[in-house]
Amino acid sequence: MYLALFIFFAVLCVAGALNLLLQRHPINSALSLIVVMTSLAVLYLLLGAQFLAAVQVIVYSGAIMVLFTFVIMLLNAGREEHTRGSRAAFLVGFPGAAVLLALLVQIFLSARGHLAQARLGEYVTATHTLSSVLFRDLLLPFEVTSVLILIAILGAVALARKEP
Amino acid sequence: MNLLTFFLLSLLKIVVVLVIFLTAVAYTVLLERKLVGRIQNRWGPSRVGPFGLLQPLADGAKLFLKEDLIPANAHRPLFVLAPLIALACSLISIAVVPFGAPITWHGVDMFQISGVHIGLLVILGVTSVGVYGIALSGWSSNNKYSLLGALRGSAQIISYELALGLSLIGVVLRAGSFDLRTIVESQAAHGLRSWNFFGGYQFVAFFIYLMAAYAETNRSPFDLPEAESELTAGYHTEYSSMKFAMFFMAEYANMIIVACVATLLFFGGWTSPFGSLLPPIGGAVGAALLPVMWFVLKVFCFLCLYIWVRGTLPRFRYDQLMRFGWKFLMPLAIANIVVTSLCLALVA
Amino acid sequence: MTAAGYPGVSYLRLLLMTLPQIAIAATAFLALTVDLATLRKASLRTRWRVGTLIACAGCAGAILLLFLYPQYGSFGDGMLIANPLTRVVQTALLVLAAFTALLSFDAVFTSHIGEYLAVILFATTGMMFLVASQNFLLIFISLELLSLSLYILAAFNKSSRQSAEGALKYFLFGGMSAAFLLFGISLLYGLTGSINLVEINRAIQGRPLTPMLAVALVMTVTGFGFKVAAVPFHLWAPDAYQGAPTPSGAFIASSSKVASFFVFAQVMLVGLAAGQGSGAWHNSKAGWAPVIVAVAALSMILGNLAAIVQTSVRRLLAYSAVGHAGYMLLGILAQSAWGVRALIYYVITYALAAIGAFGVLAALEAGDNVGVDEIPDLAGLSRRAPVLSFCMLIFFLSLAGIPPLAGFFGKFYLFSAALAGENSGPLWLVVLAIAMSAISLYYYLRVVKQIYVGEPAAAAPPMKISRTVTATLCVIALLVVVLGCAPNLLVGWIGSAMHLP
Repeated sequence: MYLALFIFFAVLCVAGALNLLLQRHPINSALSLIVVMTSLAVLYLLLGAQFLAAVQVIVYSGAIMVLFTFVIMLLNAGREEHTRGSRAAFLVGFPGAAVLLALLVQIFLSARGHLAQARLGEYVTATHTLSSVLFRDLLLPFEVTSVLILIAILGAVALARKEP
Repeated sequence: MNLLTFFLLSLLKIVVVLVIFLTAVAYTVLLERKLVGRIQNRWGPSRVGPFGLLQPLADGAKLFLKEDLIPANAHRPLFVLAPLIALACSLISIAVVPFGAPITWHGVDMFQISGVHIGLLVILGVTSVGVYGIALSGWSSNNKYSLLGALRGSAQIISYELALGLSLIGVVLRAGSFDLRTIVESQAAHGLRSWNFFGGYQFVAFFIYLMAAYAETNRSPFDLPEAESELTAGYHTEYSSMKFAMFFMAEYANMIIVACVATLLFFGGWTSPFGSLLPPIGGAVGAALLPVMWFVLKVFCFLCLYIWVRGTLPRFRYDQLMRFGWKFLMPLAIANIVVTSLCLALVA
Repeated sequence: MTAAGYPGVSYLRLLLMTLPQIAIAATAFLALTVDLATLRKASLRTRWRVGTLIACAGCAGAILLLFLYPQYGSFGDGMLIANPLTRVVQTALLVLAAFTALLSFDAVFTSHIGEYLAVILFATTGMMFLVASQNFLLIFISLELLSLSLYILAAFNKSSRQSAEGALKYFLFGGMSAAFLLFGISLLYGLTGSINLVEINRAIQGRPLTPMLAVALVMTVTGFGFKVAAVPFHLWAPDAYQGAPTPSGAFIASSSKVASFFVFAQVMLVGLAAGQGSGAWHNSKAGWAPVIVAVAALSMILGNLAAIVQTSVRRLLAYSAVGHAGYMLLGILAQSAWGVRALIYYVITYALAAIGAFGVLAALEAGDNVGVDEIPDLAGLSRRAPVLSFCMLIFFLSLAGIPPLAGFFGKFYLFSAALAGENSGPLWLVVLAIAMSAISLYYYLRVVKQIYVGEPAAAAPPMKISRTVTATLCVIALLVVVLGCAPNLLVGWIGSAMHLP
């Protein structure tokens, strides 16, 4: 049953990602991205990361993607236009990506034995375990991340504000 | 417990709860019309059935039979999808709400559809996805009023979601869990005195939650997305018939969910306000149904409060709304977290 | 439960070890607050003056902290490493940040001075964490902190389309490279079960180079290759260098190079050195050697050849930076302490020359002067701004590697380290590097010739250059000369920090 869920949402995730690339209209792409994010949340849930799954939905699907659609709506962005360059990129890019994908799949399949296995739905990570890791072992990366976010805000404000 | 019983019982629970929930939604509309009517010194609906009690049925029939219009230049798939998203998201939340004491029958919890450990987060997550209903309906209608309403709505919801989420952290800190049942049980010891609102000193959090919740559900005094004098009907201007009804139901369902969450988090959920002062009555049946009654009563009080506020307060201006959310509620919620965690650390 | 009750973590120790970084972050806040709160109505000049003063004081304070209270040791799972070597690199980063702040003095491209200086200081904080970590998690986060700051700095000139274009290209390429790096890291984690470089090295010790490991290596090299602008991941560099406001360009070309190369070397030599090579390479070679050889050779050839045909000074510097990245990869390829020593010396002296060259360009567009981008515009600069021209001469000759300037000894140490030892790089690569250095002389001298021999446009008045900027440029030029005449000052310091005889 867990496997069925995994396969369904993994396929949904990849399909959403492909649709994101293939759609011409930005709003459809944004919606596909929401599908990707939400399916990822389910995959987290299958691995027992409940808190992470909920936060993934709240933050990514709920907040960040709303801002994406918001911007698309505000700019009234139309369909994507195709130029000669983008067609060339399409022609070269797709076979290239396909070859790369085939190569990676081949390698991953051949190296199955060396990789650790994840078991689906087997255990649940309690939120306080997560927090004790976050605030004890990974305190430093956590704090540096806060500086990272701060600088993103600072940059966004500085770049978006009108020069007097 | 075998899988089949579990499956059938769960299905039964879902159907029963959904029917009750949708009926409650319909009658909340009536309650609002009646109460606002009384506040404005008039009768409200009183023709259909005794005291107008059949009015929701009549409304439903009317909306169902209306012509379903889709504007020519609308983005069809999204136009159809948007009300579905809005309604679905507001209905899903009820699945994790425990509305009675934890009594199991055949190994299945009778008064909660799904007892996930992160119930609170699920509600927050589902609500945050519900914004798409508003955003997409406004955009896909291809109408400037709809678009403006949708923009207002989604900006408002995102802004207030922060304050709302932060205001709940004090409660979560006290209970040490995101599980709604655990949160309620942490307030069950001495009735009223141990509720988070009174004994837990979370009244600041409650007021933040209350205001943020009004904004989240686009209710007066924060009902700018559908301010009729400025935007005709806001994001659902172009909708008619059942699609309009879906938005309408979503709004009231959201109201009920918000009231449920407030009851669970701040007012002891299904527990009695008198604690163990009242002797248990009615044996096993009483032990099962009395908590449900308390829960419904508390939720009902909240709905009345909602409607009372709507009947009383004028609407905010948009910049005031944003300033209030970001510059007042958010810092206040953060201060509440800091004070609560300090107190908890000192007591422990 | 109190903080001291957690096993294995001393928050006080973490605080003490990160004091210099905290000092810089606090300085950034101070610069921002002072500028926004008190200097709103003041003139641009006053605001630059106060901001630069605060930034320089902060950098000086952090350097003092590094030297007066050195907190050597490691924290967490290789999360934070402080040793004499990281101290050398951190000092260099702080000095370069202070130089950047001084060189931005009087710039006119923005009025958000507090924000500009704060971003530079935050980027420096990120770099100080970057060089002091042997844990992929912190390396990635601080690398992103650095990259994000650089994108912002590149886009800071909002009135220029080029700035926006360069920054966007930089951002898109950077985002791509971050994805590659993350993919590589996650594969390494899957293979070894650790994100600590030392642990990873131990885990891949003695294992054959499986295709999986090779993919992980290539992805990681790709990720870092973008950061150091090595071919074929260099495409952002010319546009970012040309479009970015000149002081930002100086920062991108100097400080970030130092940090990126140090962490690149750290990852390759501490984390992945033990991965075995294939049969074509003798066994002591790390498995990644062929990848690095290819990247290095391509960078040298393409960077130097493309630089010849450039007409924009900034693009020329960008392509020459690509070429220099190729040389510097030789230091990693040497896989020895000498190689690392040579690499650090090279990258620091290169950064000084690059920041100087950009500084001169910045001075030419500061205040009332009109900026210079095309090489012919520099004609006769020596008669209009003799001091600046002389500084430019020193920087360009150092970049070209003319003795007795620092660039020469950098190349000398690097090439000899690459040839020495049992892990010597292929001879042809070193020969190629020397040949390319000779070619590079041509395009550097072309610029210098314009400055000294070209005829200035009629009626070009002498330039007005702020004294602060002139003094800073003179100090940088002096450093380049001194480190060239007495290379042992720096090399000896690095060597003793690495406990080399």
